[in-house]
Amino acid sequence: MPPAGIWIDGLIQSCIYMTMAFGMVLVFSILGILNWAHGQFYMFGAIVVYYTITAWGIPFPISILISGLLMAGLGISVRKLVIDRVKGDLYVGVATISLIFFFEGAASMLFGMQDRGLSTVLPGVINLASFSISYQKVAVLFFTLVVLVAMYIVLNFTKVGLAIRATAQQPDAASLYGVSVGRLSLIVMGIGCGLAAMAGSIMAPVYAVNPFMGRIPMIMSLLAIVIGGIGSLTGAIAGGLMLGFLNSVIAYYLSYLSEVVLFLLVIFILLVRPQGLFGASLK
Amino acid sequence: MMPFIDYKNMVPKIVIGLLIFAIVLVPVITTNVATLSMLILSGLLAIAVMGFTLVLRTGQFSLGQSAFLAIGGYTSAILTVKLSLPFWPSFLVAGMVSGIVAMLVGMVVLRVGNIYFSIITLALSEIVRIIAQQWEPVTRGTRGLITSPPPPVVLGGFEINFAASPVPYFYLTVCLVAATGLIFWKLGESRMGRSFAGIALNPVLAEHQGIHLMKYRVIAFTVAGVFTGLAGSLYTHFLSVITPYLFGLWQSIQIMIMSIVGGISSLAGGPIIGAVLLYTLGDYLARLETYGIQPLLFGAAVMLVLIFLPKGTGLVDLWERFWRKVVWREEEYEPDTSDD
Repeated sequence: MPPAGIWIDGLIQSCIYMTMAFGMVLVFSILGILNWAHGQFYMFGAIVVYYTITAWGIPFPISILISGLLMAGLGISVRKLVIDRVKGDLYVGVATISLIFFFEGAASMLFGMQDRGLSTVLPGVINLASFSISYQKVAVLFFTLVVLVAMYIVLNFTKVGLAIRATAQQPDAASLYGVSVGRLSLIVMGIGCGLAAMAGSIMAPVYAVNPFMGRIPMIMSLLAIVIGGIGSLTGAIAGGLMLGFLNSVIAYYLSYLSEVVLFLLVIFILLVRPQGLFGASLK
Repeated sequence: MMPFIDYKNMVPKIVIGLLIFAIVLVPVITTNVATLSMLILSGLLAIAVMGFTLVLRTGQFSLGQSAFLAIGGYTSAILTVKLSLPFWPSFLVAGMVSGIVAMLVGMVVLRVGNIYFSIITLALSEIVRIIAQQWEPVTRGTRGLITSPPPPVVLGGFEINFAASPVPYFYLTVCLVAATGLIFWKLGESRMGRSFAGIALNPVLAEHQGIHLMKYRVIAFTVAGVFTGLAGSLYTHFLSVITPYLFGLWQSIQIMIMSIVGGISSLAGGPIIGAVLLYTLGDYLARLETYGIQPLLFGAAVMLVLIFLPKGTGLVDLWERFWRKVVWREEEYEPDTSDD
């Protein structure tokens, strides 16, 4: 049985993968494309928070909101400038993959290649009987709960949320009922990228900030939505939860080989149940 | 009577021929190691890019091409270093092993297709990299395997020494690129190539025309795997060291970028143009010591190509347009109906 620290680490990772995978699925269900550069929005979110805190001294919670809003704007402009102009679903995928390179290059030119830390934000630990947990990790947990509850309320009880769900099911029918699908897809792209950026900024004090920090969350949230079923929001959350715990528990026993085990598990799931654990086949 | 010469068709071809001739003659002009190794490595990458393009022709985009480079490279490195087999058999075995892996993976994975195929091949390229990094007793982990160059070949009293200069490697690469290009070009022109295009365009219609989707997709993936494995083998023997850092997802993405920038409308020309241009550019940018400018420009290049040269026609299409519009000043054919 792994020690409690491993489980806490797994929980923290699950929180991040859940938030990222949720945004990715949201974008996928409306735009019909996978945003491969999602992890780079996570990275940018962390970098924005690093600058707002160290350079301008803006308090941490407000910095998170600022980075979320900024990256939502970036996501919308990516949608307008790149995704809209590229023809063909296959090539949109290629374009967002190349955005990974573009964003990482831009970040390493602006930010530099070195690791930077934000450990002065939210210092201190809570001591429980046999283990301790830092306030930073508690903040991640709290943030994820808030985000998921907020998204639940938005998707179920507001007009925008209902429009998003209707469009995900039947774009044509939704537009007949007066939903502007074009504008809605912009909103959704903004929400998805903003969520990723906020996840990155809440994680900035926990791990080091560098231009390549988005790679592993990107791959992991991709795997999470594949496990949960592409297009299923509950699937994304369940997949993220599973992957975070599995990753840290398997890594406890097998160190680096844990990724291989996870990849093989995902391949196995795909072959046995191609639509994922929760997905109805989405056409 | 004067025979009719279609000079509008002939002149571009002659220019291309002269360019190829000039590239083949590069070692006569300069034996500078830096120039030659740049050309050799870009040629070897061009083969991997051709493989990617062939798979993309069937409508699947693979993020695992670097896995086959790695499998080919490690196979021949392990065979020559650990089992001390001679170079040439290991070179062929590397291609075979890589092809077999591609076939097995393809048979399992291509059933799910589309976006799942990309994700699983992504997983494949990372799995191969991690195994190469962690399987210390065989691959020596991150320290890498040191390979030796192929032994000298004696051809009619004339000895070709691979250890002394990169020139023999250069001609070997040119031969491999030419062979791969010819085979892929013939494949693209054949009935099978048309089936590939049909599958990409409309899988349902293609299936109803009696084209076995799985069979053709697996064939494309396997052929790509074989040649990428051969290129990987040569790659490691030329660099004389193989480490896991040469491979992985980011190398796969680089291969994808080269393919898209070069253009996928041609199976041989586009990949060669893309690989040579971008590899040269990347090599030059790496010397600038401005970290990050290389991925930035690569990413920007792909997006520009995708936006301004839509449907993946890439730079190779510009060549034709250059002759038609700039040189011959032909009127552009404008279709009456816009098809969106």
